[in-house]
Amino acid sequence: MGIQATRIYRFDASGCNGCDIEVLEILALVQVAELGIEIVETPKEANLLLVTGGSNLKSKPELESAYAVIQEPRHVIAVGSCAATMGIFKGGYAMTGPIDTIIPVDLYIMGCPPRPQVILGALADTLQLKVEGMETLLHTPQGFRGDPHVDQGKCIGCGACANVCPADAIEIVESGTERLVRFMRKDCIFCASCQEVCPTEAVELRVGDKAWFRTKDASTSEARLQRRTCLVCGTLFLPDAQMNWAMSRVDEKLEMGTGDRSKLQRSLNICMQCRRNSISEVREAKSILASLASRASGRGARC
Amino acid sequence: MVRSQSDAKAIVYEPQLCTGCRYCEVACAVWHCGRIDVAQSRIRILFDEERMTERYSAVNCQHCDDPICCAVCPSEALQKDEKTGWVTQNSSKCVGCEMCVVACPLSVPFFDAALKVAVKCDFCFGVPECVKHCSSGALRVYAREEAVRFNERLYVSAKEEQ
Repeated sequence: MGIQATRIYRFDASGCNGCDIEVLEILALVQVAELGIEIVETPKEANLLLVTGGSNLKSKPELESAYAVIQEPRHVIAVGSCAATMGIFKGGYAMTGPIDTIIPVDLYIMGCPPRPQVILGALADTLQLKVEGMETLLHTPQGFRGDPHVDQGKCIGCGACANVCPADAIEIVESGTERLVRFMRKDCIFCASCQEVCPTEAVELRVGDKAWFRTKDASTSEARLQRRTCLVCGTLFLPDAQMNWAMSRVDEKLEMGTGDRSKLQRSLNICMQCRRNSISEVREAKSILASLASRASGRGARC
Repeated sequence: MVRSQSDAKAIVYEPQLCTGCRYCEVACAVWHCGRIDVAQSRIRILFDEERMTERYSAVNCQHCDDPICCAVCPSEALQKDEKTGWVTQNSSKCVGCEMCVVACPLSVPFFDAALKVAVKCDFCFGVPECVKHCSSGALRVYAREEAVRFNERLYVSAKEEQ
């Protein structure tokens, strides 16, 4: 995946400047001139645009004209989540991006912001530069947050991660008999909220992954969960794993008679709609709760 | 802890007295959300005219002694107050995993798509609005022990007789 370019122009298309700072940090890591590349001051001299930010009303015409004047063959590298998807600025009234809707993009470097080592690594990889000690540079320090990975075996498909994700990077897709929990790399800002809220500790932000891609739609990881069929109406509703986890928590925390337990187990096979809309199901549910309550009050009187 | 001596309360619902006016739903929605949106009501009245007996029913929180919702909550957002008997939900602790929605046999907590958390009956932290506005007296506040006996008679013993 080589790009023939040596003269780089950094274009700031209205991000938060985090990525710009990280791009400049490259200068602190290596002697750029020794690598055979050059950072130029005007787009006219350049043949590679390094774009940061999601593009807004003001920067869009500038970005178009910059792309028009760079030298052939034109190459564009989008740096950071904003350039790929507008990141945290998504939905802003002035936003006109992402960048690939305005100009063609050759490579996406993911991160919010990507580390300077990763940006350098991406440049070295695509421009075929020889950087001494690149492997060591790319090695991610301990405690640094990388791509989210979901453990298929542990995930119960409850969707807490998707609800908490501030960047909408986690998709819950109901596809046929399965529920898909998909972590989208392009939107992730590595805040680790998903890791924090996951009730089964199925999500982990791992380090050390290569973070530059030709396409942006790849997911970092996904979990597929079998959905349960409602006993009453026959529709598919929530994942089996979620119901089983609920039952195991109940077993762990509460003591109940075998009769009540099997009734509760049955109620977990009924979808929320049927539970809330059918008088006979409500009666059934209340009988479970009433029997649990009398059991509890009996215990209370004894102690 | 001696449960029998606590002054815990519970809401009871008597289907025979309910007229199906659903004023409780309106009062609940107004108190909790400030608007008449019965979809946001923490209590739900069901009416099925095709049934011969028990045409009315209510999906209302029983404020259980050993709440299933609290047992499954991974973030301790749902708590049982032993003194008052209320099972309440803390929105800032809730992670939106919907486990309570799934586990409660009545599915009393429901997921609020706007807030991205589960919401449920909180006893209005005092006198419940549904009880206050129930004109037929179908919804009443009983002492915990009394409520347990009432529900036992209505839902457990009645069943055994059948």
